[in-house]
Amino acid sequence: MSVELVTVTIDDREIQAPKGQGMVETAASAGIEIPVFCYEPRLGAPVGACRMCLCEVEGMPKLQAACTLTAQDGMVLKTAQTSKQAAEGQDAVLEFILLNHPLDCPDCDKGGECPLQDLTFRYGPGKTRMQFPKRTFDKPIPISPLIALDRERCILCYRCTRFSENVAEDGQLVAVNRGAQSIIATFEDEPYRAPFSGNVLELCPVGALTSTTYRFRARPWEIQNVPTVCGMCPSGCNVWATTREGKVARILSRNHPEVHEGWTCDKGRFTYDHLRAPDRITAPLVRVRRRGFEESSYDAALDAAEAGLREAGSSVVVAFSGGETVEQAKALTRIVREACGSEMALLPEEWDPGLEAFRSPLSAIRDAEVCLVLGDQPVLERSPIVDLWLRSARRAGAEVIQVNPAGDVQAAPGSAAQVAASLREGDVPTELKATGKRLRSAKRIALIWSDDDPSGGRHVGALANDLHENGKADVSVYVLPRTPNGRGVPAAWYEAGEGRSEPPEEGEIGALIVSGDEAAYDPRVAELAGRARFVLTTAMFQSDLTAWSHVVVPGTSYLERDGTMVNLEGRKQRLRRAVIPAGLDELEFLSRLGERFGLDIAAWAAPTAEELADLPPGDEFAWSSPDPQAPTGKAAGPGLDLVRVRSLFSGAGVERIPQLQFQRPAPEIELAFDDAESRGIAPGETVRVLSNGTSRDLRARLNRKLRVGVARVADEHAAGFEDRVQVEKIGA
Amino acid sequence: MSALYDQIRTVASEYPESRSAVLPALRLAQAEHGGWLPPEAFREVAEALELTPAYCHAVASFYDMFHLEPVGKHMVEVCTNVSCALVGAQQVVEAFERELGVEAGGTTVDGEVTLRTVECYGGCGWGTVVSVDHRYREPVRPEDVPAIVRELRHAD
Amino acid sequence: MPIRELLLQGADERDLTKREEYEAAGGYKSLRKALGMERQAVLDELLAANVRGRGGAGFPMGRKASFLPKPEDTPKPIYLVVNADESEPGTFKDREIMLRVPHLFIEGVITAAYTIGSGTAFIYVRGEYLTEFEVLKAALEEAREAGYVGKDVLGSGFDLTIVVHRGAGAYICGEETGLLESLEGKRGQPRTKPPFPAISGLYASPTLINNVETLATVPKILEMGGAKYAALGVENSAGTRVFSLSGNVARGGNYELELGTTLRELIYDLGGGIPDGRELKAIIPGGSSVPVLNATEVDTPLDFDSMAQAGSMLGSGAVIVIDDRCCMVQLGLRVAQFYMHESCGKCTPCREGTRWMVQLLRKIEDGEATQGELDVLLDVCDRILGNCLCPLGDAAAMPVASYVAKFREEYQRHIDEGACPFGGESSLEGVLAPVDQHHAHLRGQIEVPTHA
Ligand SMILES: Cc1cc2nc3c(=O)[nH]c(=O)nc-3n(C[C@H](O)[C@H](O)[C@H](O)COP(=O)(O)O)c2cc1C
Ligand code: SF4
Ligand code: FES
Repeated sequence: MSVELVTVTIDDREIQAPKGQGMVETAASAGIEIPVFCYEPRLGAPVGACRMCLCEVEGMPKLQAACTLTAQDGMVLKTAQTSKQAAEGQDAVLEFILLNHPLDCPDCDKGGECPLQDLTFRYGPGKTRMQFPKRTFDKPIPISPLIALDRERCILCYRCTRFSENVAEDGQLVAVNRGAQSIIATFEDEPYRAPFSGNVLELCPVGALTSTTYRFRARPWEIQNVPTVCGMCPSGCNVWATTREGKVARILSRNHPEVHEGWTCDKGRFTYDHLRAPDRITAPLVRVRRRGFEESSYDAALDAAEAGLREAGSSVVVAFSGGETVEQAKALTRIVREACGSEMALLPEEWDPGLEAFRSPLSAIRDAEVCLVLGDQPVLERSPIVDLWLRSARRAGAEVIQVNPAGDVQAAPGSAAQVAASLREGDVPTELKATGKRLRSAKRIALIWSDDDPSGGRHVGALANDLHENGKADVSVYVLPRTPNGRGVPAAWYEAGEGRSEPPEEGEIGALIVSGDEAAYDPRVAELAGRARFVLTTAMFQSDLTAWSHVVVPGTSYLERDGTMVNLEGRKQRLRRAVIPAGLDELEFLSRLGERFGLDIAAWAAPTAEELADLPPGDEFAWSSPDPQAPTGKAAGPGLDLVRVRSLFSGAGVERIPQLQFQRPAPEIELAFDDAESRGIAPGETVRVLSNGTSRDLRARLNRKLRVGVARVADEHAAGFEDRVQVEKIGA
Repeated sequence: MSALYDQIRTVASEYPESRSAVLPALRLAQAEHGGWLPPEAFREVAEALELTPAYCHAVASFYDMFHLEPVGKHMVEVCTNVSCALVGAQQVVEAFERELGVEAGGTTVDGEVTLRTVECYGGCGWGTVVSVDHRYREPVRPEDVPAIVRELRHAD
Repeated sequence: MPIRELLLQGADERDLTKREEYEAAGGYKSLRKALGMERQAVLDELLAANVRGRGGAGFPMGRKASFLPKPEDTPKPIYLVVNADESEPGTFKDREIMLRVPHLFIEGVITAAYTIGSGTAFIYVRGEYLTEFEVLKAALEEAREAGYVGKDVLGSGFDLTIVVHRGAGAYICGEETGLLESLEGKRGQPRTKPPFPAISGLYASPTLINNVETLATVPKILEMGGAKYAALGVENSAGTRVFSLSGNVARGGNYELELGTTLRELIYDLGGGIPDGRELKAIIPGGSSVPVLNATEVDTPLDFDSMAQAGSMLGSGAVIVIDDRCCMVQLGLRVAQFYMHESCGKCTPCREGTRWMVQLLRKIEDGEATQGELDVLLDVCDRILGNCLCPLGDAAAMPVASYVAKFREEYQRHIDEGACPFGGESSLEGVLAPVDQHHAHLRGQIEVPTHA
């Protein structure tokens, strides 16, 4: 669809612009500035609150808030540059804004990168005529362990509250009171506990909202911003890593409109300090008989590693963590396949290449008519950005249908594959009839799979194919991997050859290569380690598994790597090293290890290359996979069906950031309203949860939307529980 | 589920979108909690309307008829806007302050009566307008005040 | 006598809050008539009547209604929203209508809803009007029982639900978009326009918003015919209005008059003049938002154009009479305090400017202001005017600026003499405004503007 171009005149210059484009953007396109504070298109319709953008518009008696105007043919607008009236209006607005602003710029974190400072300099009054005491508040007050609020600096542009209400939809950060008494606040001084809270730091145009992790840490002229990509989840948000004196001081988002619109979650924003955790492994460790571990040189570590692998012959298993760059994964693959002649690998997940046929940018979710979400894992916990896209889709009028135990359709746990199959075959149970109909009638569909899937996404892929073939719909598919590079790592493994075999069920294995902390935490890997004659582990931090290892080499964080990550859309993105790791770069270590076996592996990721090409259009691929077999549902039993939720705020990094602890899942069990009532359990009450001999006391959280007979517990509080749990009122 | 919850759900069903029921819901909750809105009230309203307590608090704090701190059993509100002020509203306020022994904006120590001044209540032609437990008395003159206070003291 | 009762006709003789009485007096005939007409035909009558909005802005009712899409042209529901938030200081006419002729009002609502093809009407009654709310509810119930409201109104096939919604105390919710926000369950902060409510109003659907009195005229217009109604009053100001008379006047109250009647007739012939042998000093002719008139302008006719010529506005038809005991600085302060209290806080000039005005006015009243600060006050008014998101900011700046303009020497004396010339004898002396009173509920966050 082609956009109509119109001609508008700004400051006596004729400008061609798409009809309906915002006037702020239109002016900017011609290099003309219209100053704004409250205006931020990503927050929804303009509100025209701050009045900073007042401009003169031909044919209108009063000054107009240009941020609320759109390009219409023949519109004639004058900014402060050419209109005395507009200049006076803007001067007036700034005088009013500064009236109660403390002007404590010298000791304000925003100083030097502050829109209010800049605009005052350009448009504001030179002096103040205010001779009354300024409005005062207690300051700064923490609105969460991550964010401090200085109400005296706040200019009430409502950007932060609009983000909370209209974008994240968390309803936590609000404006209270009226008129001159209005203030930004959370409820009853409870913390702003929401996965995207950190975005308000970047939205605030003054120093009212500042980061407790960055406050007083740096000045704008001492820092460097390195453009890279977040490696904390498969969304692949583009970010700036702000570094000061070789350390990461903060993470800012770098807007990629197709990926994340410039939003990032608090995990990606605040976890960077784990790079400097005291318990970080900084030098290779080699186990020495009867003396335990000893720090060693890399050469000694390489000797030990080479010896261990040669001794193992072809009985070598590699366990990927899913956080490796494509380059690291390829290097490991070659060492295992070519040097050791083994095909035994534990991949973080499987990935069906046929899914390429339904590949689209994440932003396509917003443009869909229907978004169907399958799988037991809450989207937010797996890919927070997809959760945001789903919200904007709903706001844009899309029908978002979540099929899971707490969804719009309350499906049984583990039934996603059957749901997909039944929707495909058309014989749907009653609760899914409406969904089926809607899918058949829609022309633009987004399918989201939010759960592990041993078939590599074939259930949802087959459904997509059917809707595309028979429903003639544009379908995009988003399978949410569990790990940040869960799409790139398997691709790297299979690129080197079709084959992959599972390690033997029992008996000794020659060597186990554990790549990264995520793998180190995997119980399957721990089990294998117990059977391995030699264990080579790369990890940032000590764990039970490193204790099992024979050689441990320091792991690195995504902030310390160059290389390629493939996000959940299949977009290849570039990681750029922001800071130098204490130890050797992981890729370089693998290159040297390969060398020992006569492999030529580049120690450096290609600077930029074809692997960073844009998304190829989906139709270059065809869905070729055979229809998958849907597993039959779990047998019912006594007690409640347990869904373990792998929460976003978990993992080695998060655990090491004190300010993030409040975001981690509380020791709670989520119960359906009726299940709680029938057991006489009140909201917030502590209950006893029993499962095959494990007993744990958890706080009950009641969810009216949760399917009866189902209980949800965060992974980290579900250790030892089996698929079914008994929930008892304590002292009952 | 609680009676308040059901009442709120019923009111909400009158509107195309349940959020429209926030003001009626807060009014019900305020009645339930003795004339003011403790934090608990916001949690209850939020739950019934699938909103957050923060949102409900934000809304309540915008409107003068919601009280975020405890108030007396009885509410005396004196209009001091222009029309009433021109005909002696301030003398009426002071009469109440004397009779009740409390400053406007406060509540008598026995927690019986809250006295406050308010903006135009729409009885300007018959000033001074005084609202006693949400029923208008117009006009009220300083000499009428003792009787009103006596009446309140002996009510219930 | 200039009294010309149209809306309040017969309310003295019989209890028109009772349906039977109202019907006996010819009530609900207009509705039957309208239901028998084409929608467009009804609209044409309203256009012919040339009746202007009674809420304050004075926009022609028929024209506004004609901006809405026809029901058949829009997939969205069409809403009628009635503004019964009456909060403009000095105004109490809608209250009179709801209390004394609720059925007339309801008949007007039903007819208007039919005209624009709205199946749901909301009546937003200011929260403080509890008795009014109850009377209205009762009348509405009677209307339902009689089949005037509900499914298939009088067998016409037209369905109408009427919801009476109570506000909770916020003047800004009288501003139409603030009202819509409030009705949607939000803080009542005005929206930017466009889009106008006629296109995207309540729940982003086409919405007609009218004042109580405006809608109450509808049955009368249909009864007598648009053209005949238009003949009442004067040019550009057709019909009658219920004027609210208050302040220093012997017989305050509501008086329904033909537009064009002079202030003198209202204040002296009907209101009985200024009591206690005092002198007339000033008149606020249209609610506290409008510029003031001085005693010499008492012969100004109460119609839109004459008021405009006099440099003021008819506004909500609230006439506040001020005698010579009133200090105009104290008046300015009290009015500014009201708008500061009611500013919604969304846009900068109003939120900050009204507060600054209060600070400056108090300093002047206390005799501590410098010459420069009087100019700053005027400049602040000037910098608020026309720069705000909604008209509330103007509503604070306009009157205060007019007080200074028309009573400059009185302001000047405060500065020159370093004290209020009334020496504590002003009728507004020491009046306690809500912004000045300790608000327990603001948890000490509230700070009263001072000039310590
Ligand atoms: C600050 C402000 C307060 C207002 N208060 C009221 C009010 O209390 N009642 C009312 O009918 N209109 C009020 N209005 C006017 C409304 O915005 C709107 O113009 C009117 O209700 C339209 O109805 P009408 O055309 O029948 O007059 C107010 C406007 C402003 C700017
Ligand atoms: S003018 Fe005042 S009331 Fe109107 S939007 Fe601005 S702040 Fe709110
Ligand atoms: S930027 Fe336009 S009003 Fe704030």
